[in-house]
Amino acid sequence: MPAPATSPRRLTLATSAIFLALVVLGLTFVIPFLWQILISLSSLTDVDLLSQTGFPPVLKPGNYPLVFEKVDFAKYFFNSFFVAGWVTLLQVLTSSMAAYAFSRIAWPGRDKVFLLYLGTLMIPGVVLMVPNFAVVLALGMFNSYWGLIIPGAFTAYGTFLLRQFMLTIPPSLDEAASIDGAGHWRIFTQVILPLARPGLIVLAIFSFLGNYNSFFWPLILTKDDNLRTLPIGLLAFDSTYGRETPLIMAGSLMAMIPPILVFLFLQKYLVRGIQLGAVKG
Amino acid sequence: MIGSARKRLLIALAFLLPNLLGFIVFTAGPVAFSLVMSFTDWALTRHNRYSDTAVQWVGIENYQRVLVGDEAHLFWDYFGNTAFLMLGIPLGIAGSLALALMLTALPAPASTPRRARYALLGIILTLLAVAGTWLLTTPGPPPDPASGSELLLRSTETGLTDLTRYDVARLRSNAAVLAAAAAGLVATSGLAFGPMFFRGLFYLPSLLSGVAMFLLWKTLYRPEGGLINAGLAPILGWIDLAARSSPPLLWHIAGIALAAATVLAALFLVIVGLSRLIHRDSGPASFVGRLAIVATMLAVGLGSAYVLVQLPQRSLLPSGRAPLSQSSLSTVIDRLATDLPSAPPDALRRAAAGLGDTPRTTDAISALTAAAGDSAADRAAVTRAVLDAAPLVYEGLTSGDGLQPPLWLVDARWAKTALIIMGIWAGLGGGTMLLFLAGLSNIPPELYEAASIDGATGWSRFIHVTWPQLAPTTFFIVIMSTIGGLQGGFEQAMVMTQGKADTIVLAYYIYNIAFTDQFQLGLASAIAWVMFILIFAMTALNFRLGSQMTGD
Repeated sequence: MPAPATSPRRLTLATSAIFLALVVLGLTFVIPFLWQILISLSSLTDVDLLSQTGFPPVLKPGNYPLVFEKVDFAKYFFNSFFVAGWVTLLQVLTSSMAAYAFSRIAWPGRDKVFLLYLGTLMIPGVVLMVPNFAVVLALGMFNSYWGLIIPGAFTAYGTFLLRQFMLTIPPSLDEAASIDGAGHWRIFTQVILPLARPGLIVLAIFSFLGNYNSFFWPLILTKDDNLRTLPIGLLAFDSTYGRETPLIMAGSLMAMIPPILVFLFLQKYLVRGIQLGAVKG
Repeated sequence: MIGSARKRLLIALAFLLPNLLGFIVFTAGPVAFSLVMSFTDWALTRHNRYSDTAVQWVGIENYQRVLVGDEAHLFWDYFGNTAFLMLGIPLGIAGSLALALMLTALPAPASTPRRARYALLGIILTLLAVAGTWLLTTPGPPPDPASGSELLLRSTETGLTDLTRYDVARLRSNAAVLAAAAAGLVATSGLAFGPMFFRGLFYLPSLLSGVAMFLLWKTLYRPEGGLINAGLAPILGWIDLAARSSPPLLWHIAGIALAAATVLAALFLVIVGLSRLIHRDSGPASFVGRLAIVATMLAVGLGSAYVLVQLPQRSLLPSGRAPLSQSSLSTVIDRLATDLPSAPPDALRRAAAGLGDTPRTTDAISALTAAAGDSAADRAAVTRAVLDAAPLVYEGLTSGDGLQPPLWLVDARWAKTALIIMGIWAGLGGGTMLLFLAGLSNIPPELYEAASIDGATGWSRFIHVTWPQLAPTTFFIVIMSTIGGLQGGFEQAMVMTQGKADTIVLAYYIYNIAFTDQFQLGLASAIAWVMFILIFAMTALNFRLGSQMTGD
């Protein structure tokens, strides 16, 4: 960080002005969510009054359990966690193994295959959406957990990210291990994986959040209500009960809690990962 | 290195296999498959296990349809929408950079005791602010019920909640106290944790970016009773008052002066750029960059000038949502009648009156369809006629007095702007800002020291040190945002407008073609490839300009 021109001891006029501006800007980020909380606690008849009174006349926490009565919200939650959890687990596993092959073993044709991987990163997701749908249809995975989980379990992006991470681990470590007689599997599980832990966590966070918020794929792939993940469930909830704004706000607020928890506990990894993903390989 | 090349290949393949298999089936294969599909007429409604029709090879017909044929007007329309939404990208990048600079300039509390002292200070200030707000706004003890107090607001639907003047004052006081507490909380956390807290707060929307957040914004944008219009109404009221109580000439002069100043400044910048180009002080790329800045300046300056000039006439934000006037009602009916000559006038009138309201529109459409006949073609014709007439209704609704806030998501003239504003809010503190923060922290402090020895401060320090040093980061961000922007916009439109109000983007178009309208996978693949070529061309252009600018 370039040293600020002022000493941190004194709060100068400039830093106070910046601080004030940040607080005001920060309020524009806080107030929409406060508004959401207030609406979620209003009764249906008071929603339109809220813009004039700023506060609901009667607080109605009962909206929250009501969401679970109106739709199978618990099932949506479960589906989101189930799908995002499995995709994350499989993605970290397959990507780390592939990244090991790309960063730790010298095999003929390695760079060509890796270039192919990199090349597909440039292809827009939209191009893949239609043929993937056809593939999943042909494999009989339409409208099933399989179809939601399997296509997301292998990404070129994850392989690329973890390869970058593993390249920073000094080769002397696994050379030492191989002199001690360790095979590739042992080197992978006992040397590389523990050292690549921050990278694995970064990929896991990205994968989990991305799949938790994922919209297009579950939208085209699910037909049954009991397979819906939270985003699709919320959309259906909005189109059925759209006039009941308090319930919609209560539901969407609850859906926002898991990503916030992930962020609060794993913030430092996430920030590092975003900055790392931008480093050109 | 252990083992022979052959053995290493086998081991590597064993590690690679799970990923490679998935990569071939779900990434590399589909890319090739999609290209083949785009030359066929494959549609799931025609070619499936219940029909014997074989998929036909149609050559470049799909591409022709999209670019110049029967789908072309839709494609270019939606491309226009996508491009319009992408206007938010430069604004968002500039905002993220400004935010990153502010966060970098804010010193973090050095030690834990200092942090604790700041936190204590913040808590005391918050308590004072909350207490002060409460004292200033609280309406005091409730009035004697026997004295009979005046009813101010009545809940619109059922009348279950009747609020007296006292009730409203009490609730507003609650809201003010809540706002004061929120402000105090933000300030306290900022004092105690410094830039780290703000970085987390501004990143929040990127975490939540998804249906839940779009539903929140849909509520914020509600024309009546939404937070945004509730906040805008008083501001527009003041502007309206100012416009009324001063001579129109004043506004005209201000607008013309602003326009003239903008044009002069733009000319000056272009001339300086040209002279640098002629004297070879800078390359053609930096001239292109300069032109882009001048174009943005002209757009903002002339746009504001136009707003000022038209303010006395209030032609930009007319409104006052009176019920549909008789004359605009008959305009709508006339329009419907030309499209549906056979429909009875009574059904037309009901359709016109119900257009602003979804359930009634649905009823009206089914009545019209029943009258017009019952075939699918008739239904489609009725739906199209009603959709065509819908914008006229909003024009009719917005013919009242005074400046009124826009209708946002239901008005085709404002919906895309609404989506842009939301996008900037959501992306301001996201990945872009984190990348700028990283870029800023990588600038060697010696450069700033050297610059300050040369006497550079503030703006010139930014132009001569920060901006050139950030060029690779900016370059990366511009490329990634352009790629994302061309593909994006589907989710917002799907959740917030269902594609109404002219918000359909290219990704939405592909969704419509592939997954709702007869599942035309072949045609959809062709559109996807056209999009890919557009993305590729934009990226190549960015690279050309960027590699000159970053100097490598």
